[in-house]
Amino acid sequence: MTMTQQTLLRVAGVTVRFGGLTAIDNVSFDVHPGELLGLIGPNGAGKTTMLRAITGVVRATHGDVTLEGDTLNGLPIHKRIQKGLSLSQQLVKPFREISVLDNVALAAGASRTRSPLKALLHVSQKEEAIIGREMLERVGIAAYADQKPGIQPLGILKRLEMARALALKPKLLLLDEPLAGLNSKEANALASTIADINRQGVTIVLIEHNLGEVMRICQRLVVLDNGRKIASGEPRAVMNDPAVRAAYLGGDTIAEAQQPTLVAAGGKHA
Amino acid sequence: MEYEISLLTSMAISVLFALSLNLITGFCGQISLGHAAFLGIGAYLSALLSKAGLPFLATLPLGMLLAGVIGVVVGLASLRVRADFLAITTMGVGFLFVGIVRQQEWLGGELGVSAIPDSGLSKTGFMLLSLGLCLVTAALCIYIRKSWMGRVFNGVAEDEDTMRVLGIDVPRYKLAAFAIGTALAGLAGGLYAQHLKFIGPDSFGFVESVTVLSMVVVGGIGSVVGVAFGAAVLSALPAWFQFIGDYKLLVYGGLLFLMMRFSPGGMASIVTRVVNSRNKAQGDRT
Amino acid sequence: MLFLELTAQGLVQGSIYALVALGLTLVYGLLRILHVAHAALFTLGGYLGVIVTNATGSLALGFAIAMVAAGLTGIAMYRLCYEPILKQPPFVALIASIGLYIAFEELFRIIFGASGLSYQAPPLQEQVVLFGGLQFKQAELMVMAGTAVIIGVLGYLQNKTRIGVACQATVSDPQMAESFGIKLRQVRDINFFVGSALAGFAGVWVALLNNLVEPTMGSVPSYKGLAIIVLGGMGSVRGTLLAALVLGVVESFGTIYLGKLLDRNAIAFAFLIAVLMVRPQGLFARR
Repeated sequence: MTMTQQTLLRVAGVTVRFGGLTAIDNVSFDVHPGELLGLIGPNGAGKTTMLRAITGVVRATHGDVTLEGDTLNGLPIHKRIQKGLSLSQQLVKPFREISVLDNVALAAGASRTRSPLKALLHVSQKEEAIIGREMLERVGIAAYADQKPGIQPLGILKRLEMARALALKPKLLLLDEPLAGLNSKEANALASTIADINRQGVTIVLIEHNLGEVMRICQRLVVLDNGRKIASGEPRAVMNDPAVRAAYLGGDTIAEAQQPTLVAAGGKHA
Repeated sequence: MEYEISLLTSMAISVLFALSLNLITGFCGQISLGHAAFLGIGAYLSALLSKAGLPFLATLPLGMLLAGVIGVVVGLASLRVRADFLAITTMGVGFLFVGIVRQQEWLGGELGVSAIPDSGLSKTGFMLLSLGLCLVTAALCIYIRKSWMGRVFNGVAEDEDTMRVLGIDVPRYKLAAFAIGTALAGLAGGLYAQHLKFIGPDSFGFVESVTVLSMVVVGGIGSVVGVAFGAAVLSALPAWFQFIGDYKLLVYGGLLFLMMRFSPGGMASIVTRVVNSRNKAQGDRT
Repeated sequence: MLFLELTAQGLVQGSIYALVALGLTLVYGLLRILHVAHAALFTLGGYLGVIVTNATGSLALGFAIAMVAAGLTGIAMYRLCYEPILKQPPFVALIASIGLYIAFEELFRIIFGASGLSYQAPPLQEQVVLFGGLQFKQAELMVMAGTAVIIGVLGYLQNKTRIGVACQATVSDPQMAESFGIKLRQVRDINFFVGSALAGFAGVWVALLNNLVEPTMGSVPSYKGLAIIVLGGMGSVRGTLLAALVLGVVESFGTIYLGKLLDRNAIAFAFLIAVLMVRPQGLFARR
C-alpha cells in the first residue's frame, strides 16, 4: 500500500449478538485522522448498536475495536473515553442542577477528576470555566453560559452536548444523531457548525438520518443495513449504489438525498 | 446543667452520624438502609479496645479505619447490583451485622458491652469534643461539596451513565463516598459508645438505620446545613416533648411520610421556597 | 428424617413469605416502587382476622373481612401515597413507604396494645400425620395448599385474561397502554387490591399458626419480602414464588446448622447477598 493514511479508529470484524438476534454482523471500517465520516443506514440497520459497541455500552461478541492501535476491547466506558473517545448522545442529557457553563466545565475538568483523591484536593474551577466558554463559543451558544439547561430549546441543548463532548479534547468525536428533532433550518445550521469543527481539526464520526445534511458535510460514508456493511466511500458514489438505494426503498430521505444542493441552498426559509 | 450537657452531646453525635450518611446518600446518591451497622462497628471497636486498656482518644481513629474498610467492602458489593437493589443490599448488611454480633459471646451477645471505661474527660470536656468533631465534619462536608469531588458526586447522583460518558470512573467515586461516609459513622460510633457507657446489638438495627436516613431526608437530602438542623431537631425531639417519648416512632414515621409526600427536598427546600417567594415578592414590589 | 422435617417447615414458612412477597412483586413490577408499607396490610389482616373470628365465631368471615379491608387499604395507599409522587426520584417513594409502615406499626401498638391479641378458640390446630411420620397442623397444610392455588390462579389470570394482559401492558409501556384505552388507574387499583388482599390473607394464617397477632409481626415479612423480590428477580411472579420457597427452606436449614454464627434474619440476608454477588440480577430473573 503506497499512500497509507494513518488509522485513528479501526473497527475489525465486529459482531454483536443479543440472545438470538444478530444486531451487527462482521462489520469492518476505518476512521482516518481529520475526516468527517458519516455512518448511515435505514431504521434498524444497527447504527446505534455499532456506536454502542465502540463506546463500550454494548459488548462485541466477536471482533476488535482499536484506537490508534490500542485495543478498546474489554475496557469499561470511562476508560475508553479517557483514551480519547468522546460521545454526544442522541437523547440529550444535560445536568439540570447546574448552569450550561458548569456542564461544560465539568467535562473540561477531566484531568482533575481522574481520581477521587485528586478531585478532593482541587476546588478552583477557573481554568475549566475558561475552556468551557471557549467550547460554548465554538458551538455558538456562549450567550447561554450562565443559564440553566432546563428551559432551553432542543437546538441549544444539542449544542451543549457537543460542547461538553469537545471539552474532553477528544481524538475522535462520535455524534449520535445530533440533528434529530431539529427543524430544517436548525439542522442546517448545526450541520454547518459540525463541518466547521471538523475543519478545525477534530475527527468526527456522525450517525445521522438526515441524508441531505450528511451528503453535504461528510467526506466519506459507511452504510449499514440489517447489521451488515453494504457500502462505503464517497457520498455521491455511495448514494448511487443500487444496494444502498434498495436498502432505503420507500424512504422520503432518498428524495432529499438526490437533491442535496437544493436543500443546502434553498433551505434557509424562516 | 448536666442534663443539657448530655443532650447537647447526643445532638452533636446524631448530627455527625447524619452528616456521614448525607455524604453517601445526599452527595453521591447511593441509598443506604444499613448505615447504623457502621455506627455499630465504631462503637463496638471503641468499647472493646477501651476495656482492653487503650486510651479512649486512640480508639476513635481505629474505629474510623475499621468502619471505613468494611464500608469499602460493602461498597464493592453494592457496585455489582442495580440501583434498585442497593437499598435492599445495604439493608441486608445491616441485618447481617446485628445478626452476627448478637450470636457472638465475645462481643457480648444479646446483652451487649457494658461498663465501658471513662474517657478521662469531664462531661463538659466530652461534650466539647463531640461538638468540635461535629463541626469539623460539617466543615469537611462543605469543603467536599465545593471541591471537584463534590461536583463529580453531584453528577453521579443525577445521572451516573452520562458521567461515565464524560470519562469519570464512577465506581471509584462511589467507593470513595462509601469509605468517607462509613469512616465518619465509625467516628460517631466511638463517641456514642463512650457517651452511653453501654451498647447492645439492638442499638444498631434497621430502625436506627431508618432513623438516621429520616434525619437526612427530613433535613433535606444533600444539604449540609439542612441535615445538621434536621438531625439536631429530630434527635432532641423526644427530650423537648416528654409526652412524645412513647410516640417517638409514630412521629418519625408520620414525618417521613408527610415530608416525602409534600416536600421531598426536606426542610432545606421549604426554606429555599420561602426565601425565593419573599425575594420574588420584593422584586415585584420594586 | 430431620431433612424432611426441615424442608417441610421451610416450605410452610416459604408459603407465607410467598403470599406477602407477591403483593410486593406486583407493585414493583408495576411502578418500580419498593412498597415497604405492604407489610402493614399483613398485620392489618391478622388483627381483623382475630377480631372478627372472636366476635362472630366464623373464621371464613374473618378471612373475608380481613382480605377486603386489606385490599381497600392497599388501594388507599396507592391513591394517597404513591400516585402523587410517581414522578419523583425513587428514594422518595421508598422513604415515604417506610414512614407509612412505621406509622402503621405504631398505630397498631397504640390502638391494640403491645402484647397483641389471640384467638379465643383457634380453629384448624389439629395435627395431620403424613408420610414419613411428618406432622403438620391442619393450618400449615392449608397455607401451603392455599398458596399453590392462588399462585396458579394468578398466573392464569395474568396470561390468559384480558385484565391480566392489560396489567402486563401497563407495566411495559404505560403510555402505549393508555392509548389502547386501558385505564392505568384501574389496572393499578386492581393490582394493589389483589396484592394487599393476599397480604391480609397471609396475616390471618400467621395469626392462626402462632395464635398471636402483635404490632411488629409485619416487620420480618416486610424485610424478607423485599429480599425475596430481589432474589426472585424483581417483577417476576414465578421468580418470587420460587425465591420465597427457597428462602424459607434455606432459613430452616440455616438456623439449625449456622445458628451459632448468625441469627435467622442474618442468614436470610447473607444468602441474599451471596446470591447477588454471583448473580446480580437475581436467581430467577427473566432477562
